[in-house]
Amino acid sequence: MVNTRLIARGGALALIAAGALVFGQGVWIAAKAEIAQVLLAHAWTRAIDGETAPTPWPWADTWPVARLSVPELGEHAIVLADAGGESLAFGPSLLAVSARPGEAGVSVIAAHRDTHFAFLRDVEPGQTVIVEPADGPPVAYRVTGSEIVDANRSGIHVDGGTARLALVTCWPFGAMTPGPLRYVVWAEML
Amino acid sequence: MASAHSHHSLGGQGGFALVLAIAALAVSLLLWSDARADTPDGLVRLSEIHEGALLIRTVDAGLYVPAPMVATDIELDISGPIVRATVTQRFENPSDAWVEGTYVFPLSAGSGVDRLRMQVGDRFIEGEIHERREARRIYERAREAGQRASLLEQDRPNMFTTSVANIGPGETVIVQIEYQDVARLDDGTFQVRVPLGLTPRYIPQDSDVLPAALGSPPDRRVPGAHRITPPIMHPDGEPEEGLRLPVTITADLRPGFELGRVASLYHATLIELGDPGRARVSLADGPIPANRDFVLTWRPADESAPSAALFTQEHEGETYLLAQILPPAALGAGTPRRPRETIFVIDNSGSMAGTSMRQARDALIQALQRLAPEDRFNVIRFDNSMEMVFPAAVDASETNIGRALAFARGLDAGGGTNMLPAMQAALTDATPDDGSRIRQIVFLTDGAIGNESELFAAIHDGLGRSRLFPVGIGSAPNTYFMSRAARIGRGTFTHIGDVSEVSGKMAELFTTLERPVMTHLDALFPEDTLSEIWPAPLPDLYYGEPVLLTARLGSSEGVMMVEGRLSGETWRQQLSLAGTIPATGVATLWARNRIRALEETRFRGASQASIDAAVLETALDFHLVSRLTSLVAVDVTPARTAGDDLVARDVPLMIPDGWDFEAVSDSRARPVRHAALDDAAVSRIAPSAPPPPPGSDAGEGEAGLALPATATPRELLSLVGGLLMLLGLLWLVMNQERRLW
Repeated sequence: MVNTRLIARGGALALIAAGALVFGQGVWIAAKAEIAQVLLAHAWTRAIDGETAPTPWPWADTWPVARLSVPELGEHAIVLADAGGESLAFGPSLLAVSARPGEAGVSVIAAHRDTHFAFLRDVEPGQTVIVEPADGPPVAYRVTGSEIVDANRSGIHVDGGTARLALVTCWPFGAMTPGPLRYVVWAEML
Repeated sequence: MASAHSHHSLGGQGGFALVLAIAALAVSLLLWSDARADTPDGLVRLSEIHEGALLIRTVDAGLYVPAPMVATDIELDISGPIVRATVTQRFENPSDAWVEGTYVFPLSAGSGVDRLRMQVGDRFIEGEIHERREARRIYERAREAGQRASLLEQDRPNMFTTSVANIGPGETVIVQIEYQDVARLDDGTFQVRVPLGLTPRYIPQDSDVLPAALGSPPDRRVPGAHRITPPIMHPDGEPEEGLRLPVTITADLRPGFELGRVASLYHATLIELGDPGRARVSLADGPIPANRDFVLTWRPADESAPSAALFTQEHEGETYLLAQILPPAALGAGTPRRPRETIFVIDNSGSMAGTSMRQARDALIQALQRLAPEDRFNVIRFDNSMEMVFPAAVDASETNIGRALAFARGLDAGGGTNMLPAMQAALTDATPDDGSRIRQIVFLTDGAIGNESELFAAIHDGLGRSRLFPVGIGSAPNTYFMSRAARIGRGTFTHIGDVSEVSGKMAELFTTLERPVMTHLDALFPEDTLSEIWPAPLPDLYYGEPVLLTARLGSSEGVMMVEGRLSGETWRQQLSLAGTIPATGVATLWARNRIRALEETRFRGASQASIDAAVLETALDFHLVSRLTSLVAVDVTPARTAGDDLVARDVPLMIPDGWDFEAVSDSRARPVRHAALDDAAVSRIAPSAPPPPPGSDAGEGEAGLALPATATPRELLSLVGGLLMLLGLLWLVMNQERRLW
């Protein structure tokens, strides 16, 4: 009898421990996103000082290329180079195939909907988005609208046309599981 | 009865809870391993690449299948310290689908790929250097014309990458790159390394060192070999038949002095000596498996004899010169140490708290104990305040050192960082004209500061005869600040990453500092006003280092003179410009030195626009990838006339003029399946759509850009975790209450 109670208690404790482990995973994802931005701020000062591709920590496979801000919402983040690694875990990433900010074509910046780009749901047409590249003057954009697209048929053609900015995250906001839909906020250079 | 019933019920519940807990544990472990994203067998990440490889995209983001390498040929052309390497590699698409690939090649810091040629199936692609904006325009034009082009402007640190699109099923890809490197000089031995290794599996034992000796007994270990631990594949990983990755290597070595020992550290080589200053190196036993880096080392025959070599290259009507002058015997190890004045500066700000402070303190104590009675010294500490142990530098008497040691032992980290006053105090020189002593500043810090440009200006303005030796403390010091501070301060940067490294690294630094140093180096050329010499000014020379200078000559006749100050005396050497050795890479090295010097004029007040203009001009003239220029890969496939299309498959490929892929051609290559490539890995390859027929819209087509996944399981994990904990807690409470029933 004592034995079974012990087993029951052991089982309950194991359940709590397992729960804590899974919960910790979730916390870790959020913490990684926050801590990385702090380290990135330091690498960013090196980037604007002329250093080529300064990695924020020695084993990082990405580096800051720009600073993104939405003054009306008080939001800002360091944008990383998308170098085929896992840069999205640490910050918004400028897709390698897209145009450089301020140049003809579409600059595509993607980030996770539940961390760095959670604020995208609050972005409205007419607001200003500023992108400061590490090696050039800041570029100001005005938000023109938003759309929901399928990840594999985005209809985004990065080449040619005026300088535009596409901020991309997962849709719908608040969903628990990954899906094929993406939320795109469009902005045009002022 | 009640008891029995209770017993039964409890037992059932306990068993149920146990099953539930085990299931939950299994699920959580699954999620845990998924979140950790371990690399599955046969797949690699970019960060794991230590050799030239063609990586094929898989369905998992960030994971790649390495394409089987059929053959690799490496040609090294070495003139003095300049290494020009041509790497030709042949790969195969292992799958029966169209795929997208990325070619990567690891490079040492300071070297860069400046030529690229690719053959993908029957297409030929060549890299051209253009200004960044222009490169992008060319890329867009090519895309509109239905051609394939790729832009290589991803300046990833120490890694050359280029994308290779539309590789057909089973198709062959040949990549040829050229890069320039400078041989490393360590304790009198020159060394060049070609990356051929895999992800580290184990560190080779001493018996793995295969010295291909020349004029010395084979058992003599190569100096410095203990420091070289190249990655090596375990023999179990080698295929049964043939070689996993057959590699051929040849080197043409013209070091600029009479050759002593030439050796390959890990491979048996055949070394043919031509005249005393030249050697041809090839592999002794034919192609080798690519399982460890190829390392070639060489030394001069007579190490005490001063020697000088001049290399020249004609580039677009101008003559470029590289002078390599090995220091005279007076710079040898035998000369007595000279008295010096050393100022130690130690950072005890809050960011140094913990291990960093202990490392810095240990380093300082060790440095103080090495002082000789004839030296002078001082110790300065700073956080947001500053404190000097002595008002000015004092003799290194036993009492003075004792006082400094007591001070050092009492140091604790705390407070803010205000480096500028400490730097200025350290640079204040009471006897600026004292030629009998050298003045050295050893600066121990993690460099966590924000006013870098202010400090650079202070160092530049106040340096005088002092030399600055920053020592970076901790695992992540501000290396940008410290390496640049060392360059401006004309000293060297030492990084101590771990407490265990303190004594070794500090001993190394002090050995260098205690040895004689040649200062005030200068070079004079005929018609000097027309010559442009880099680096300027020439750096000080420590034991074992050669004078290395590059110049664009105003006149290629007459004599040049090099002079410097050594132990208070003037040293001078004259060299005739008539007997120079023709070499490749000299103009490139000169241009790189020029760009580096231009970039560093920024903190001396040069405007960004003028720096950009000069850097861009130099980069374009010398075909260099830089901050402002990119390599753009352009399809240069020779056009066929329209009528030829139907029989195109039967016509032998037309290779563009001047291209040479002979070294990796079919007849010589022995295709062998990649030992580590299993079918499970191949099945992960992400097939891409076959390319559209010529003339139709190329690229993304109607679908547009594929967007990355931007969701995390964070909320799901938190919810599931929270529920599990709640369930467990409920169970625990219920279990407690049942006792009362």
